[in-house]
Amino acid sequence: MIVSKNVSLIYSDKTQALVDVNLDISPGELVYITGPSGSGKTSLLKLIMGIESPTTGTLSVLGKSINDSGMMGIRKIRRSIGPVFQEFKLIEGRTSLENVMIGMRFLGIKPKQMKAVANETLENVGLGHKKLSKVENLSWGESQRVAIARAVARKPSLILADEPTGNLDYDNAINILKLLKSFRNDNTTVIITTHATHLIKDEQEATFIRVDNGRITIERRYR
Amino acid sequence: MRSFLFNFGYFIKESGRVIRLNLMSNIFSVLGTGLILFLLGIVITGTDIGNRLVIMLNEEAEVNGYFSENITAEEREALADKIGSMDGVRSTRIVDEDEAKRRMEDILGEEAKILELFDENPFEAFIEIRIDIDATDYVIDGVKNSPGIEYVRDNREVLEKIQDITYALKILGYLMMAAVGITTLIILSHMIRQGIYNNKDQINTLRLLGSPGTFISFPYILTGLFLTLLGGILAALSISFIINGAYNGIGGTIPFISLPPREELINKMFILLPGLSMALGLLGSLFGLSSIREK
Repeated sequence: MIVSKNVSLIYSDKTQALVDVNLDISPGELVYITGPSGSGKTSLLKLIMGIESPTTGTLSVLGKSINDSGMMGIRKIRRSIGPVFQEFKLIEGRTSLENVMIGMRFLGIKPKQMKAVANETLENVGLGHKKLSKVENLSWGESQRVAIARAVARKPSLILADEPTGNLDYDNAINILKLLKSFRNDNTTVIITTHATHLIKDEQEATFIRVDNGRITIERRYR
Repeated sequence: MRSFLFNFGYFIKESGRVIRLNLMSNIFSVLGTGLILFLLGIVITGTDIGNRLVIMLNEEAEVNGYFSENITAEEREALADKIGSMDGVRSTRIVDEDEAKRRMEDILGEEAKILELFDENPFEAFIEIRIDIDATDYVIDGVKNSPGIEYVRDNREVLEKIQDITYALKILGYLMMAAVGITTLIILSHMIRQGIYNNKDQINTLRLLGSPGTFISFPYILTGLFLTLLGGILAALSISFIINGAYNGIGGTIPFISLPPREELINKMFILLPGLSMALGLLGSLFGLSSIREK
């Protein structure tokens, strides 16, 4: 699913974001990437999404090399990823339903089917009643659920959620994590970055990647 | 391709949204494009009328070959036939002394009384030679050098001037086309870039979701096509209005000028201007889109 060998990332301003990262994430894994702010969590997600390329080392995502893929190849990889961005990146002026559908529009799905899936997904995240609301009129939590619905409606092989618990109170954060975890199955890997380790300390079926100053340590907890 | 077809309605809606987002600016772009295309249409129409005039004058172009003294009627006929067979000569006809006088009387009208002062007919017989305007020099030289011809009278200067004016109109037309093309491309690509800038967050999100470039671009291409087409139609309507007005106004006052049929001119504008505007719209949109850089 995701394999990296000796990956380093240095930004153009010479900031060293990641150092010698070696990863091997299998399909269906639940992965938490933890670490303090600025440790390199988001940089790791950027590499996986092909927003950045490794400065050194090799990285493949969903069986495709990020190093060797051109922009077309990167976009193909992204079509199999369901991203939940920290700032959601919902498109204003559109309804929740339209925002969910926009993630599926270029996947060759018929409009009727697309609408049905979007409706169903919004129901699943508890926002069926807000499907026709413009996203700028939604609360923070509701917007986040729309972002999650957009990510999962397209049945991705990999769900990437960047700090989904960032601005939530404990109960809502736990609920969002539960929701994200519910989409994991044999074919779908879920990767969540968070600096709130207290929310996941009791997790027994997951892989934990701790990032500190760009270096990672991996712990796999499986009963 | 399938995604493209499934989303055609979405593209139209998006295009409408892009237009509405900057409505005033887009209205001015349509007016600007329409005005430029209108000027182009005027130049093209002027060139068409000029060409028509030249063709008409070409058909009427003639030189007159005056006979030497003591030439017999048979020799005149033979000479007219010989000149008639030259390259660049359409036809020849002998105008005898009496016909030459009658023509002058027609021209002079009431002033023709002056001709009564002459005891004898002062006019000479000549050969009226209709020629191809492009062969003027060649024919004049040939006629001048024909035995039995004393001298040749031509209206070459007038013909050359008309040819020069038409040539200038054609050059102006080409220059206008280039100016229209470049200006429309600049206006449109700027407009598309503005639209892209206004939607940069949305475009960025679509890219992160893996959207193909064509999917992102197509609404902007549709926008460019639609706006320039509107400008083209506006220009064609304005020109048809002008042509109708001009034909109604001057058509009767200058009956000796054979203008092209107005339907022909108007139809040409309704095909040419919207077609050209769409081509420019497509190019301008692509030009504007090419400025988006992947990050």
